[in-house]
Amino acid sequence: MILVNYLAAAALLCTGLYVLLTRRNLIKIVMGLSLMEASTYLFMVSLAYRAASTAPVLLGPPAGRTARQLAHGNVADPVLQNFCLTAIVIGVAVTAVFLSVAVRIAQHYRTLDADRVRAMRG
Amino acid sequence: MTGPALASLLPLPVALPLAGAVAAPLLARLHRRLAVVAGLVALAGSTVVLLLQAPSVFPGLVRAHYLGLWTPVHGQVLGIAFAADPFGLLFALTSAVVGAVLLLYTLSELGGLGARELGGYACLFQLLLAALIGAALTADLFDLFVWFEVAALASYGLTAFFLERPIALEAGFKILALTTLASFAVFIGAGLLYAANGALNYAQLHNALARHVTTPDLIALGLLVAGFATKAGLVPFHGWLADAHTAAPGPVSALFSGLMVNFGIIAIGRLVFQVFGVAGTHALGLLLTVGVISALLGAVLALAQDDLKRLLAYDTISQMGILAIGLGSGTAPGVAGAVYHLVNHALFKSLLFLCAGAIVHRTGLTKLSEMRGLARRMPVVAVAFVIGAASIAGIPPLNGYVSLSLIHTGLLGGHQYLPYALMLLAQVITIAALGKAAWLAFFGHRERDYRSLEPLRPGMVAGLASLAGCCVAFGVLPQFFLDRVMAPAAASLLHPARYAGGVLSGTAHLPVPHLLFDYVSPAELAGVAASAVIAAVAAWGYLRIREPAPVRALRAVHTGSVNDYAAYAATGLLAVIAALTLI
Amino acid sequence: MTTKTTRRTRRTRTTSIGDGRALDHAARREASEREPVHRPWLGALLAAGVAVAMGVAVAGISREHASLPQIARYALEVALPRWKLTEPVNEVVYGTRGFDTFGETFLLLAAVISVVVITRPRERRRGYFGEETAGAREQAQTDPAEGRDDAEQSARLAERREQDDRASGGEEPQETPDTTPLGTSAPETAETMTVVVRTAIRIALPILAVTGLYLVAWGYSPGGGFPGGAVLLGVVLLAYAGYGRRKISAVVRPSLIETIELAGAAAIIMTELLGLLLKGSFSANWLPLAAAQTPLSGGIAQLFSGSELIEVGTGLTIAVFALLGMSHDWARDKNGGEDER
Repeated sequence: MILVNYLAAAALLCTGLYVLLTRRNLIKIVMGLSLMEASTYLFMVSLAYRAASTAPVLLGPPAGRTARQLAHGNVADPVLQNFCLTAIVIGVAVTAVFLSVAVRIAQHYRTLDADRVRAMRG
Repeated sequence: MTGPALASLLPLPVALPLAGAVAAPLLARLHRRLAVVAGLVALAGSTVVLLLQAPSVFPGLVRAHYLGLWTPVHGQVLGIAFAADPFGLLFALTSAVVGAVLLLYTLSELGGLGARELGGYACLFQLLLAALIGAALTADLFDLFVWFEVAALASYGLTAFFLERPIALEAGFKILALTTLASFAVFIGAGLLYAANGALNYAQLHNALARHVTTPDLIALGLLVAGFATKAGLVPFHGWLADAHTAAPGPVSALFSGLMVNFGIIAIGRLVFQVFGVAGTHALGLLLTVGVISALLGAVLALAQDDLKRLLAYDTISQMGILAIGLGSGTAPGVAGAVYHLVNHALFKSLLFLCAGAIVHRTGLTKLSEMRGLARRMPVVAVAFVIGAASIAGIPPLNGYVSLSLIHTGLLGGHQYLPYALMLLAQVITIAALGKAAWLAFFGHRERDYRSLEPLRPGMVAGLASLAGCCVAFGVLPQFFLDRVMAPAAASLLHPARYAGGVLSGTAHLPVPHLLFDYVSPAELAGVAASAVIAAVAAWGYLRIREPAPVRALRAVHTGSVNDYAAYAATGLLAVIAALTLI
Repeated sequence: MTTKTTRRTRRTRTTSIGDGRALDHAARREASEREPVHRPWLGALLAAGVAVAMGVAVAGISREHASLPQIARYALEVALPRWKLTEPVNEVVYGTRGFDTFGETFLLLAAVISVVVITRPRERRRGYFGEETAGAREQAQTDPAEGRDDAEQSARLAERREQDDRASGGEEPQETPDTTPLGTSAPETAETMTVVVRTAIRIALPILAVTGLYLVAWGYSPGGGFPGGAVLLGVVLLAYAGYGRRKISAVVRPSLIETIELAGAAAIIMTELLGLLLKGSFSANWLPLAAAQTPLSGGIAQLFSGSELIEVGTGLTIAVFALLGMSHDWARDKNGGEDER
């Protein structure tokens, strides 16, 4: 049921956003951002889905149908799936950079509490 | 060269800096400065290819090329389009030229860095510049998002560059968290827009939205505007900007303030004007409101700062607000003035940040209250800073006067008197803030003299001189630039149907408005004189009184916590969506 | 008494950095004692608002009952005739909209270089850098008065020992995994894992490596560069976990891996650029198309995917090993003194 997908994506997005808005530990902020990323993947893939469709794959068509008929038939949207692939790479990249910044902060400030790493204010 | 052949060269200005970025870490192993020199060569190549387009595009032409030759089929576009219109070409040229000047400056000033450091720096710098040029020239929404991400990731590494400064790491994680939040907004917005309209190309989207605009389209616009406003540093999405600019190295702050924030404004301009077309939405009123708030808040907080680079960063927020006001006026002079101010801002803000970077690099001082009397020790920097400050102040014959007057004309022509008055107020406070900065840094008497300061190297002098010279040139020849460059760019924004037609068919001509700039308009000159006097008095007074309560409250709101800044951004997102859908 | 006056004077001064160490400690203690109470309910409210906005947007579009957008249908139609690819998603990723993936490659490169820059060791610089002076001043202000604890002490000692060890090319240490206590914060001194683990890894590694290469070469039909790269990273990490850093450093040399990664990125630029030179448009296909369902069927799609494998695999390896190899180079150590080099 596709509605469950959207509800799950919304729940993940809001949980991730809540973590980003309330939690002070840097690692928890990274986790919150990861939750938001995961929600966007789910959201894109769910938007790509069409009712009773098959995957956009033209390999090995079932008996009696050609690949060309599959291409014109009921398949999910490949363009949105491309979006999702790009977003996955972005997620990995951002998490890697954020974790290296977090380790450096721990070395300098000896804490991972964002509220104690606040020399720049006003 | 024929039109289509020239158009097919459009991805080259993006590919050349990318190649330079790939080569940079390898060249740095041979000799540290080779990486930066290769970057200069790559940007020179980009500039040449862009200048090849200029003679045909700037008189008022849109020229599009479909990568891989995947041209539209019955108005449906699967491939990625690169379109050279005057607006995008102007920003691409500005990025390439100012970026080259900044790299030259880096070569002189930061040439003493270690080989691996300098190689990484050059690589990230060029990746960011390539992303800016790509974003200016692309006509595809998802491609715009990809370049947004490339620019964001390069900016994280550049912000946290000087690892011995704890504030660099603090700024690094703030820019990271807030820009990632913005990127999610842009991504979801782009996905929603595609799901609702089945299109990714600006022209195809324009045609789909011209038929009717639904609520999901408006929510998508809200998400996109919120995401790009974070990049632009508009209030309330601005939490990361002051911290990142304070902590980054000098040329990197110049790059951020001069070029990277323009990315956000360019994207907002394209979406609001060229994709959605202003008729069906309240986007103009939204831009005016956000612009006025940003201009005032940025100016007030700039006046209150003691750290020089932080002052300049808040002034960037203020100038971005003025750009939003110009775009939001919706009239030809207003939009042309905003485009003019975009170029001017790239010039004078880079100049100011390079001067601030030179001060930090040579003296190790960051606070204005600790610097005094630098004019005697660093005269070139002092002159450059005063020119930059005068440009922002809008004093003729420098470039700020032209663009600000054009925006005033646009606002008055559209009968928007309240934004006009508030914009004047913001300008006065800005002049006061910059006057205070210039006075405290360069003039006055210091008890303890500085240690011997290194003289400026030729590359640095060349960089400062060229930027200052451009400030003067853009101020002295306004009608020339207005006719040849700014008015066509404004036409590109104000005639979205022609732009869309050009992108789909390959070429189209734009009707260029003829804008007259009255240099010696008595109202403007009187306004400049009055604001300069009031600002001088205000700055003098501000240095002597205690911090007023409203300013204290504003500063208390900027708690420095990433959670709070994210909360402000989320509130702003909801406010933007509500403004677009409910009103 | 001092803390009270400093707190009051803080409100009338114009800045919070550089007002003195006692000030910042007071501020820090204030911050950690007074938990901001507005955040949970404000956060919940904003998250709920965003959920409502997203809900309205999703409810307004026709989702699974809409017909496929025409550009998606076009992508499906051209997959076999124009690219001989039976996987339209790969055709969109590496072929028709290959420029997006081109940008994404440099996104990953930007992230890897950012990680390398952030995790870099300290290098010698020439000339006076005011930023270093400013940095030393700021570190003096923000360094908490508590000093370092045992965990940091042992970590710094182990780092120094490892660096000296590496510099002098020391011999193999005598420790086995069983004698090292669990949970130390120092880098591992036991080099390898037990013989059971090593044998299992020796069997699993070739299978995993072949799977990764299969994903790139076949994986339905050509185009598995990204997952192939991730599997390659998994192979390297498995070897690292089992065999230890000393054995892996002989193979995973940072300069070599970085060169390979940049070569992969350069290959991707050349792939796209040759389209411009040979076919007149930037990401056009210039390779002949083999028959469908063979490894070379997509034209430049397979070349692009293979270069992507190299770039992603090596890039992520660099990032992970850079993170693992970070040491306390930049944080001054007042209580011990010898970290400043």
